Amino acid sequence: MKDEKNFFEKLVHSIFLILGLVTVGCVLLITIYLIISGIPAIKKIGLVPFLFGKTWESTAEHASYGILPFILTSIYGTAGAIVIGVPIGFLTSVYLSKTAPKRIRGIVEAVVSLLAGIPSVVFGLVGMLVLVPGIRKIFHVADGASLLAAIVVLAIMILPSIIKVSVTALDAVPEEYENASLALGATPIETYFRVSVPAAKSGIATAVVLGIGRAIGEAMAVMMVSGNVANMPGLFQSVRFLTTAVASEMSYSSGLQRQALFSIALVLFLFIMLINAALKFFLKGKKE
Amino acid sequence: MKNKKIICAMLIAVMTAGVMAGCGRGSAEKKVSTDGSTSMEKVIGALGEAFKQKDSSVTFTYNPTGSGTGIQAVLDGRCDIGLSSRGLKKEEKEQGLTETVLAYDGIAIIVNPENPVENLSAETIGKIYTGEITNWKDAGGNDGEIVLIGREAGSGTRDGFESVTETEGLCKYRQELTSTGDVITTVAGNPNAVGYASLASVSDNVKAVLVNGVIPSEETIKDGSYVVQRPFVLVTQKDKELSETAREFFDYITSNDAAEIIYKAGVVPAYGEETAGDATLP
Amino acid sequence: MSNMITVKNMCLWYGEHQALKNINVSIPEKSITAFIGPSGCGKSTFLKSLNRMNDLIQGVRITGDILYNGKNIFDSSVDVNELRREVGMVFQKPNPFPMSIYDNIAYGPRTHGIKNKAKLDDIVECSLRDAAIWEEVKDRLKKNALGLSGGQQQRLCIARALAVKPAVLLMDEPTSALDPISTSKIEELSMKLKENYTIIMVTHNMQQAVRISDQTAFFLLGELIEYGNTETLFSTPKDKRTEDYITGRFG
Repeated sequence: MKDEKNFFEKLVHSIFLILGLVTVGCVLLITIYLIISGIPAIKKIGLVPFLFGKTWESTAEHASYGILPFILTSIYGTAGAIVIGVPIGFLTSVYLSKTAPKRIRGIVEAVVSLLAGIPSVVFGLVGMLVLVPGIRKIFHVADGASLLAAIVVLAIMILPSIIKVSVTALDAVPEEYENASLALGATPIETYFRVSVPAAKSGIATAVVLGIGRAIGEAMAVMMVSGNVANMPGLFQSVRFLTTAVASEMSYSSGLQRQALFSIALVLFLFIMLINAALKFFLKGKKE
Repeated sequence: MKNKKIICAMLIAVMTAGVMAGCGRGSAEKKVSTDGSTSMEKVIGALGEAFKQKDSSVTFTYNPTGSGTGIQAVLDGRCDIGLSSRGLKKEEKEQGLTETVLAYDGIAIIVNPENPVENLSAETIGKIYTGEITNWKDAGGNDGEIVLIGREAGSGTRDGFESVTETEGLCKYRQELTSTGDVITTVAGNPNAVGYASLASVSDNVKAVLVNGVIPSEETIKDGSYVVQRPFVLVTQKDKELSETAREFFDYITSNDAAEIIYKAGVVPAYGEETAGDATLP
Repeated sequence: MSNMITVKNMCLWYGEHQALKNINVSIPEKSITAFIGPSGCGKSTFLKSLNRMNDLIQGVRITGDILYNGKNIFDSSVDVNELRREVGMVFQKPNPFPMSIYDNIAYGPRTHGIKNKAKLDDIVECSLRDAAIWEEVKDRLKKNALGLSGGQQQRLCIARALAVKPAVLLMDEPTSALDPISTSKIEELSMKLKENYTIIMVTHNMQQAVRISDQTAFFLLGELIEYGNTETLFSTPKDKRTEDYITGRFG
């Protein structure tokens, strides 16, 4: 009997281990594949012309494969989305976790969950039909499809994850800390921002990382509102992101063009790894 | 040690299963494979389906890889029939390829319904798209900055448009969208926009202008007076015989029976009589 | 000795349930008053009313007067944050903030507007000395407060409460979660603090009340049964229920 139990335990442990290895294996596979597919084009084009070249004309007679416009657009777009999305999301989460009456909190959280479930294409569609003409009319530009439109769409898309995770983190702050602060004569608002938020810091930081991840990886929604021309980024310019660069040309591509698209995917991948690592490092430092 | 043994056994089992799954495919007897232009997707898809209805044991495949790749695939022998939304170049013909025109696809030049412009010459269109003309008032319309909408690099429609207007690589697009539908929606939403789209897809929310005074329709495409058009071409090897199934398919789609299907897919069949019904395409 | 806090006919309801019935008591200044009674008798609830911490609980309704320094604390002109600064609180389970020891103590003064570093340094040292913990932590002020032992954390909380210079210190069973050595340290500390502060301590431990308090109030089922000089109450209780409780007939 005991031997049977022992064996069963070991079996289950092994299954867990294998499943874990499968997950790790998938990530490794993707990484290796990206590296293998992405390196050849970089070799042919040259690392510096590729990363810092300002012109992308993949199907022209004398093609050029400079992806600086895409890199900068992705950076500015994500940064813009964060700058708008994080404060709104963060303040909303403080409101929901600490001051909102139960009924309002229930309603708002349901709406946020709904927002989280909306597929990217829907965002893109609404953006195309409402936001783009809107920008055109409000700012008196010839065409509203621009970096600005993409930033707005991205900001809205990352709100749900920021809010949800931050609310969970804030809820988890022990009541005792807040009681202690109030008993010292601090106002509720002071308490939330000087005790609750710092205590929930790592949860909130996770929320922001999630937001960044979603923003930098978004393709579908931004493709429909950003104009998609390989320009150097400007707020009202028609722009193309690293993601949309791959998405828009992949289906027709061949030869060096296709390889270059893989290289873009590799660059994107490295970007995301870099951001994750940087944030982890930054968080660890703060914990001390 | 025991753990390691169990893991090894399971890994081997998983890998073996994987290999078996891969080997399981037997060779299909009756197959016809096509490869190439994405613009032809609708047409060739409809034809393939109709062909399969006649003989359900047939495997019909279509690979949307783009005209260039499709032509290459025929040269490499990787497919039976290549699909191209442009005519063959001289070099391609010299390599032993031959083309058979299946149909003609009209490309409509579309503007917003509010735009008073009714007619543009091919030359003007070229100038607009290369940025020589930037304001509608210089093209017979109102005062307003022209917003150029087009397709992404590699699109067959873009290729067709740019080659007819002789603007290859020179177009200064404001937006490069990835589908005909998106182009139409965008033009419908901006009074100063202009774009191009497959004639069959044009809907009521945009206006197709006359080109060189010619209205886009089935007749004007067939007789060539509507110049913004491109041929849908079947590419085969001159000296190599098609397989039996492929030959059957080829003969079927270039026959009268297929004309109706081709027409319904929105392009003008090169073969077949006039179909009863509307004389102008939607 | 004048009365710091005077309570007149105070009643408290949690929704429909009445938790405190007609409490009348006067707390003299600069002494230790103990609240004793069995679990659920309302002593903690009453304590939390004195600095209006009960305001934070939904569904609480209070009638009657609680006068602090002659002014009714429920009056609309009273700034509740200022009240809480003057009437500080130490909780049953030590709850230092997840910050450095220095920041814990400096939190209160900073909230009330003190930014000058020298001044804050001074307040931090004074408060830690008053709480008899300075020697133990003076070399680790920047370290996280959560690294201290339970007893140290509680003394830290006392120091934190003292940092805002209150007049009254409310202590809700401050030693029930601590070991005997830490408990006696805190009792010693309280005896010293009463020279300058008015201390009200809820305790489950009758011996503790006997050891350190000057006045004792006995609560039972939401009512204040008996209140008086500690020695007198414990040696010659006037009410039979008091006698039953202190002799251990129920608890």
